[in-house]
Amino acid sequence: MIVEFKNVVKSFGDRQILKGISFGIQEGEIVFILGTSGTGKSVTLKTLVGLLRADSGEVWIDGENVTHFKEKDYLPIRKKCGMVFQHPALFDSLSVYENVAFGLRKHYNLSEEEIHKRVTKCLDLVNIHNVEDKLPQEISYGMQKRVSLARTVAVDPKILLFDEPTTGLDPITTNAVNQLILNLSHTLKTTSLVVSHDMHCALDIADKIIVMDQGEIVARGTPEEMKSCEHPLVKDFLKEALDVH
Amino acid sequence: MFTRVGQSIDEIGRITQFMGRILHAAMFNRCSSHVIFDQIWRVTLQSLSTTALAGFFVGGIMTVQFTLQVKEFGALGYLGGLSTSGTIREIGPLLIAFMLSGKVGAFTSAELGTMRVTEQIDAIRCLGADPIQEIILPRFIGIVISSFFLLTVGLFMSIGGGLLMGIVFSNISPEEYLRHIPSIVTFPSILSGMFKCFVFAMVLSSICTYKGYSTTGGAKGVGRAVVSTAVATMVGIVIADWLTSLISEAIMIAFVGEL
Ligand SMILES: Nc1ncnc2c1ncn2[C@@H]1O[C@H](COP(=O)(O)OP(=O)(O)OP(=O)(O)O)[C@@H](O)[C@H]1O
Ligand SMILES: [Mg+2]
Repeated sequence: MIVEFKNVVKSFGDRQILKGISFGIQEGEIVFILGTSGTGKSVTLKTLVGLLRADSGEVWIDGENVTHFKEKDYLPIRKKCGMVFQHPALFDSLSVYENVAFGLRKHYNLSEEEIHKRVTKCLDLVNIHNVEDKLPQEISYGMQKRVSLARTVAVDPKILLFDEPTTGLDPITTNAVNQLILNLSHTLKTTSLVVSHDMHCALDIADKIIVMDQGEIVARGTPEEMKSCEHPLVKDFLKEALDVH
Repeated sequence: MFTRVGQSIDEIGRITQFMGRILHAAMFNRCSSHVIFDQIWRVTLQSLSTTALAGFFVGGIMTVQFTLQVKEFGALGYLGGLSTSGTIREIGPLLIAFMLSGKVGAFTSAELGTMRVTEQIDAIRCLGADPIQEIILPRFIGIVISSFFLLTVGLFMSIGGGLLMGIVFSNISPEEYLRHIPSIVTFPSILSGMFKCFVFAMVLSSICTYKGYSTTGGAKGVGRAVVSTAVATMVGIVIADWLTSLISEAIMIAFVGEL
């Protein structure tokens, strides 16, 4: 298991958001987390990278128990474990190019030329062209989302966490992003954990699907197993996916 | 009432702790001088005209006030020395720091607060970088250096403002105004004024970076952070003024023997 949650509980005030979540991800797998809005999907991802800390339970990443890591110890973990936020969260005082280059400058001792190559390649992957010198405010929301994806992919993390990478994108770009996730896992053996509402593409590219409701995992399994799942929420998701397409 | 006092003391504790983290980062990490210079350049450019103008008028106000006082004693000849001394040692640094806190403090806390609520700070952490080192430290150093510079510029502008008001309002010649300045404004009093400038710059930048960095709760949170920065810097500067007055007095007595 490269990522493992053991009975993780997280509350804000007296509202319990995660009510004992357990799951594990094998290296190279693509796992989708599905669930309605407000069930704690983003909280799960943030707990994984240590932006939020679990109240109880354990979080394991790459063989290390990181639950009680200090912020300082977490920094190298986060290099292995990149996260794409639900909202683009680009650095608004830096150009698109510098945003993508940020992590590279931080972690690798590269020449300007190599950085340029890598940044261009990553922007290429997400289909962004000719806006390298623009500031984030000057490009559209969908473009910002893709730049944010490129920024995370640029540092080459072993584990990639995507928080709704395709929400708000057009169908063609959505496909491109899904293809990108698939490619990364095939070529670089990257492990991906994707939060999404889109059952259709989960069925397409996921190795495993986890369905969450009200802070609990209500169903899990391979896409095939999901298709025959009897849980009402899963059925609703499936109906939606099959209706649309 | 008591809980309010308790909260304030808590807050002071947290700001001090935050400053400790910044200083720790300053000692053990390199932060790119490029970013610091960027900050210095921006803050200075942003506020140079305001502080210079403020300094100029503070000097003018002091001269007008002193004129009304010394005229009665027929001591108009001492006007220049007295008003310059009062401005440099006390009123100049204080008022100009207030101006600067309104401008630089509000700007910085709003900027950092926005970065916090739009998850940019989390994004920095997620890219494996330390936000204190990446964005707080350069801002802190930049603001300290440029506020110190601005306050000093304001201070010297205030001498000019005083002189002009002396000529226009009190009808004395420039030579007369300037004559007693060297005898009343001693070197230690200039130093004490500049010491104040430095302390105010530290107070200002640690409060506004802390308030911005610890923002929570969306756009409203940013608004709250800016307001509480304004209040906290004002109070902080007044308290720091009182403390530095005590300290510089003690130092002067120790070295000069008397004031
Ligand atoms: N920092 C926080 N402080 C307090 N409550 C929070 C915080 N972050 C999340 N919550 C609460 O946790 C719950 C789950 O939030 P989360 O962002 O994980 O939802 P989600 O499953 O990602 O939904 P969506 O699909 O809309 O993004 C929400 O009800 C939210 O109010
Ligand atoms: Mg979410």
